[in-house]
Amino acid sequence: MLELKPPLVLLSGPAGFGEYLKLMDHRYVGGVLLKTVTLHPKEGNPTPRMADSDFYVINRIGLENPGIHAFVENIPELPVPMIASLGGDSFEEYLEVARVFKKVADRFYAVEFNFSCPNVKEGGLSIVKNAEEWKKLLNTLRKELPDSFLIAKVGVEGIFVEDAAEFVMKTGWDGITLVNTVRGLHFEKDTMILGGLSGPVLKPIALRAVYEVKKRFPELFVIASGGVYSVKDAEEFLKVGADVIGVGSALFKDPGVVEEIGKYLLEVKR
Amino acid sequence: MERLLLTKKKTIRVNEDTWIVLFEERIDFSPGQFVMLETPKLVRKPFVLGYWEDHTAISVQVKGKGTKWIVEEAEKIKGHGPLGNGFEKPGKGLLIISPTCLTMAEAFRKKMNVDVLVGSRTPFQIPLDHETAVGDEEFLSKLSSTGEYDWYLVSGSRGMEKVCWEHLKGKEVYFSLEEYMGCGIGACKSCAVFTKEGVKHVCTDGPIFRGDELCWS
Repeated sequence: MLELKPPLVLLSGPAGFGEYLKLMDHRYVGGVLLKTVTLHPKEGNPTPRMADSDFYVINRIGLENPGIHAFVENIPELPVPMIASLGGDSFEEYLEVARVFKKVADRFYAVEFNFSCPNVKEGGLSIVKNAEEWKKLLNTLRKELPDSFLIAKVGVEGIFVEDAAEFVMKTGWDGITLVNTVRGLHFEKDTMILGGLSGPVLKPIALRAVYEVKKRFPELFVIASGGVYSVKDAEEFLKVGADVIGVGSALFKDPGVVEEIGKYLLEVKR
Repeated sequence: MERLLLTKKKTIRVNEDTWIVLFEERIDFSPGQFVMLETPKLVRKPFVLGYWEDHTAISVQVKGKGTKWIVEEAEKIKGHGPLGNGFEKPGKGLLIISPTCLTMAEAFRKKMNVDVLVGSRTPFQIPLDHETAVGDEEFLSKLSSTGEYDWYLVSGSRGMEKVCWEHLKGKEVYFSLEEYMGCGIGACKSCAVFTKEGVKHVCTDGPIFRGDELCWS
């Protein structure tokens, strides 16, 4: 089992490669789930890439990242445990990215594969649409990284989370991150932004996803990801069985909230 | 960079929609740097740092709920900064700015030899010791009659940036860019700028870029 103290991670998109740690007391951060890295570098989408309203943040960053080769040559040095996040545009790319990552796998507490980014044309969501192909990929990646703590990041689109969790369990993976952003559309004046929704609006969706998965597979390790903005939110995710609380877009509002949630988790998980 | 808790001292109205907000606390920053400030909205917003009446200050254009809160209601404001890269140039420069950069201009005047041209869409409500222009016509006329400078820095709307880039062709022109920011510290990658050297980010590579470095199309 993955032991993080406190069981709190800063989440990939907003957390980047750990930049926010400069603004917080590390004692209250269990780890950083790094930004997703793909086989080839990605420049990301045109701007505007993000907007916010009273209830949600929408982004279409498009997985901008330096690519796995540059990443393994320049692994961030962080004062807290790191979980890598890997992505791909096809079966072959996921496999290749895993092979390159394998050389540095022991530098990470765990590795998450992102099967749910809504902001790229290929890969992400489209991988889980074909259940047989996805199961084959899960099996292949498990064999490629036999010693890593493997986590699958899935969203609520393309597949029911309970089914996704079953595949993840049966293929010998260790955990699941629930959920990713949900596809949304936002008008910023006259500009239409098609992106992924995060923020408070995502919390009930993520809570339900964690609840459904933990009800069926209590032994599956779950990182809760979606709309955690307060201690109360973290408390609710613990009630439905989350093993680790992820904090993502709340960083954009107040990075200080991480310390409050971290203190709370240290208390209740003592 | 550090976490900030700023106490609002007072506000001064500049024109129809822009206010200068003075803070009690002093922030040690370089000209061009900015802070991210928290409002009732979900994402902190960037404001370029400057001075007014010898206080650390920002200029705020009221565009929505968050900026209205800063100007009208806020007493204490959480934030983080200073962020981005400072700017310093020898020689004589001309700052061509919108009212949202008036406080920034004071920071430049403390460290560099600069003149300032401020273009506003609505009349100014306070006296300014800068060259001023109200409306497009007067702005274009004043832009055409500026003398020669060693360098120029433009900080305003996209429209102002484009007009100045056309008008100052062949000269050393810099732009302080505005793009939606999530974090201000290089984590989220939302404030992308497409340059001739590839994608860069306003928060960590800027906010000031050389005009000939940018992809204007």
